Amino acid sequence: MPSEGQLRQLWNLSDNVLYPEAVTFLRRLVNEQGCATLPASQVTGLLNIANASIYSELVRFIRHQQERNWPESKKDIKIFYAELEKWLTTFRNRRLRDEFHLGRGNQEVDELMALLAREFIQHLVAENGVLAVRRASARVQPRVQKR
Amino acid sequence: MNTEMQILREVNITAENFYDDAMEHGKHAAYVLTKAHRSQMTGLENIADSAPKVSDILDYIKRQTARFPYWRQSFPGEKPSDEAFGERLKKYLEDNLVKKRDAICNTLKIGDQTDQHKTWRRYTYLLLIRQFIRQVVAEYEYRVSFELDRKRA
Repeated sequence: MPSEGQLRQLWNLSDNVLYPEAVTFLRRLVNEQGCATLPASQVTGLLNIANASIYSELVRFIRHQQERNWPESKKDIKIFYAELEKWLTTFRNRRLRDEFHLGRGNQEVDELMALLAREFIQHLVAENGVLAVRRASARVQPRVQKR
Repeated sequence: MNTEMQILREVNITAENFYDDAMEHGKHAAYVLTKAHRSQMTGLENIADSAPKVSDILDYIKRQTARFPYWRQSFPGEKPSDEAFGERLKKYLEDNLVKKRDAICNTLKIGDQTDQHKTWRRYTYLLLIRQFIRQVVAEYEYRVSFELDRKRA
């Protein structure tokens, strides 16, 4: 269980760092690299795991999704999970201990990472929905204009 | 006066200045949501009142905008807006209210380096959003009550 102080830090971090980074993360994949947004089934699965699991199970799920043999039409899902794992690993190894002034114990690190990952994934999912709708209406508009 | 009380006082003064903007958002909400989707406004007010983080409120607006077409409708009223209701609201919270938060924090000498200062900044921003959304919802309720009266008549 995080302390009250850690919880306040987590909330500050979620607003000031995780939210803008989640927006940048997804816009880079979708708008710059041309990846598809994450389909609804993946969004539901990822949210369920993030909300219910300990950090190691979340990482196992993300790796499993990466290693699946996706058909060509769904290869963007693999890219999404690879990028997500990279982001989480970087955050855990380089930033978490500094942000929370943590010692060497791994259990506390994993407990906080589970909460941080949950926040980050919730922000990703919210942005994913907006980008998916934007893409869908961009596909419809040229058809409407042609008529 | 302690810092929390000073923040509350500054937020209340600032809220007087964005009343007109909140009215426009409330009219937009009444036009696109109508009485039929009143739960969208109560949901927004509930999340604004209970969320410990601003990002919870922004995520909620994004989720509703993605799920429901009426959150994506523009407003052809007296002061028309081409922007979708949800997008316009989110932009106002992220642009205008951030500037107001920064102004309040400058006045009270609240920085963004220590954990305590970051917490006060978040608290200030949350209070501004709560005040704004309360005003939007009040205008929405007022507008849609006329709609109901017209139907009864």
